[in-house]
Amino acid sequence: MTPPTRLGWLLALPPLLFLGLLLALPLARTLAEGGVNLAVWRDPYFLGRLSWTLGQAGVTALLALLVGAPLAYLLSRYAVPGKGLLLRLLLLPFVTPTLVAVLGLSALLGPQGWLSRPLGLDLEGTPALLVLGNLFFNLPVMVRLAYAGFSRVSPGLTGAARTLGASGVRAALTVALPLALPGLLAGAILVFLYSALSFGLPLALGGERYATLEVEIYTLTALQFRLSEASALIAGQLVLTLAATWAYVALRRGGTGVPASGLPPARGAAAVSLWSLVALVVLVCFGPLVAVVARGVLGTGGPTLGYWQGILTDPETPRLVGNTLRFGLLALTGAVVLGGLHALGAWRAGSRFLDLLSLLPLMVSPVSLAVGYLLAYPQFAATLPLLLAAYTLLGFPLVTRSLLPALRALPPRLTEAARTLGARPLDAHRTVTLPLTLPALRGGAALALATVLGEFGATLVLTRPEWATLSVGLYERLGRPGERNLGEACALATVLLLLAAGAFILLDGGEGEVT
Amino acid sequence: MRKTLLLGLLLAGAAQAQTTLTVITHDSFSLSKERVAQFERANNARVRFVKGGDAGELLNRLILTRRAPIADVVYGLDNSMLPRARAAGILEAYRSPALARVPAALRLDEGGLLNTVNSGLVALNYDRAAWAKTGLPLPRSLDDLKKPEYARLTVVTSPATSSPGLAFLLATVNHLGEEGAWAWWREARANGMKVVRGWSDAYYKEFSKNGGKYPIVLSYASSPAAEVYYADGYDPKKPPAQAPTANLFLPGSTFLQLEGVGILKGTKQPQLARRFVDFMLSEGVQADIPTRMWVYPAVSGTRLDPVFRFAEKPEVPPVKASVTANPQRLVDAWVTQVLRAR
Repeated sequence: MTPPTRLGWLLALPPLLFLGLLLALPLARTLAEGGVNLAVWRDPYFLGRLSWTLGQAGVTALLALLVGAPLAYLLSRYAVPGKGLLLRLLLLPFVTPTLVAVLGLSALLGPQGWLSRPLGLDLEGTPALLVLGNLFFNLPVMVRLAYAGFSRVSPGLTGAARTLGASGVRAALTVALPLALPGLLAGAILVFLYSALSFGLPLALGGERYATLEVEIYTLTALQFRLSEASALIAGQLVLTLAATWAYVALRRGGTGVPASGLPPARGAAAVSLWSLVALVVLVCFGPLVAVVARGVLGTGGPTLGYWQGILTDPETPRLVGNTLRFGLLALTGAVVLGGLHALGAWRAGSRFLDLLSLLPLMVSPVSLAVGYLLAYPQFAATLPLLLAAYTLLGFPLVTRSLLPALRALPPRLTEAARTLGARPLDAHRTVTLPLTLPALRGGAALALATVLGEFGATLVLTRPEWATLSVGLYERLGRPGERNLGEACALATVLLLLAAGAFILLDGGEGEVT
Repeated sequence: MRKTLLLGLLLAGAAQAQTTLTVITHDSFSLSKERVAQFERANNARVRFVKGGDAGELLNRLILTRRAPIADVVYGLDNSMLPRARAAGILEAYRSPALARVPAALRLDEGGLLNTVNSGLVALNYDRAAWAKTGLPLPRSLDDLKKPEYARLTVVTSPATSSPGLAFLLATVNHLGEEGAWAWWREARANGMKVVRGWSDAYYKEFSKNGGKYPIVLSYASSPAAEVYYADGYDPKKPPAQAPTANLFLPGSTFLQLEGVGILKGTKQPQLARRFVDFMLSEGVQADIPTRMWVYPAVSGTRLDPVFRFAEKPEVPPVKASVTANPQRLVDAWVTQVLRAR
């Protein structure tokens, strides 16, 4: 019989091959094309960009930790009505297309925003919108990860501390916090990584002044064509990213704790903090989404259905929706197969390295990949296989990240028990492993599908007009003057959000973990 | 005569398998499906359009893939990019006979590396309603515009990251000379002129008409017409008295952009590619272009949609050849002299 380690690597072979062809090779081609001009790293301008990139990501991670951790703790200690729904809804921002988030944030907090005008807020020239945008995407990640961390700490432990005379805050800080700390730090590192590497958000909200490294890489590559400088930035960023990713993989613990039942309702100070934190998170994470939906039905002259009428009567719209669904489902199939194999492989092989590799597609600069595809596979430029492969690349890490913790949480003797009772190896997996990990697989699949639905494909590969998806339609409207274009873009964004929400309702039982 | 020719073509086409012509364009390209279908029927070929990114990205991608070209024809390169395209040797010369009907001043290249399809003016626009509230007279020159009272009301796009921004930079260099232009940009920026990355950022986030706080924005001279066309409840039979925005043609702020179509070196369909170039300059396509891409057709005598009376097109000569000779150098200089100057 094949030892588990070798079987694991064998299972991981197809995804590894895929990563080699769609990630490693194109990246190497990009770096080779321009040469790597390391002198860039002595230029004070780029060093400034680096420190700003790390700084804004650090501030985001800190804020997410300060808001997310206490909220997650309180949620794990008290019976809160609608807790499950809140945790589920928190996945929505994570899969919101960047452009939609930008539209929403600007509608709320732009110069004449619905919130900024009555409050007299002027965020012009500050990085506030960028940090808020980071939080919009990442606070949910933090809350969900921290919740998983705290729910592994038995309420009995903090209860005992309180019986011995510790106050609620002291019990939380001295008992629950140290136990959940690795999980919290892993969450903070993940938020840091996502914020440091996000591309669309700083491109749209940072302007020239708050451009991050990723934005500089884009500018140097796509617009200024200074490939050797871009390559040096890509390489430097990759080294930093790998170090942080390694720390993250080492820190995080597998499995979700079993949420305790019979929790008491929150009272007094705990209730006040709980509900103010919930209100804050709801405002940051759902405010922009509500604003986009509202902007789609509010014209300059008051409420209107004109924008919706516009997109519903546009003969292009059915094609946009059709393409979005078609590409989404095809990429989903690829993502589930490859992501599933990768998770199984990493689990059987017990390899931290494989674990790390599955995070790479989320970490490598998409712009450098786009150049690599053109150089390595010119004959595939603007072909359907490459488009679908690129979509799959974006989706499959999410399946792996979701499935792997569930696999690791499986009691090791369970399949063996099934075998002792007479089940053949495959049957044991079909009747034991699969049912136990299915919710995680469904959750990962939902995340992957929703991410692909909202992805603006052109960042990775050349597209064709007949492949236009909802995001492309949205983007094109924002490229033309006139209020109807802006209103219709918001209406299309609403459709996109509904589709993403639909993906969750259909696929997920609320188990998806963005880890 | 023409019929026999057409018949001959059809027969010749039917004899061989249907060929595919790949046309790479910038992202704003749009053409009616019927026109394309006509071309496909007439030539028994299939046209595959590929989106090559925003104008500058498109050129970079073509240069990057010049050893293994990804298309046969390119549409959307303009006069600011032609010198680099020429130097990189990515284009195959073909002078369309239809170029004879394009005014000489609008022709990109007499040799036919690029055949002009349309022209447009990059220009400053202002928001009429918001401007009235300021109580200020309109600025009359670039010198006025850089003063604090005007600069703080103005948003433009970066020459390093957007094609209208590059056009505006070239216009200022053309008018003020290099040193003069750097001084102007530095002062305007110090006095509050905002520079953002792309056209959408400027127009949809910063421009007062769309929720921003700057009543002067860098856009196109046709944008006021588009504002009328895309206004809530626009009825072509009852057009409004005036557009909500208007052009601000300050000397040295306007750039005549000429976009063209050309054949990519290494094409395996040279004949079909030539016919597509001719097609882009044909009457039907020329008439279709204005309300799809908000630009002016290059061929004289093409009918314009009446909404274009809300746009203006003053006679602006193209900038000096020396200015477009090496735009990349000017952008690099702008980045160091203006953007990163402390």
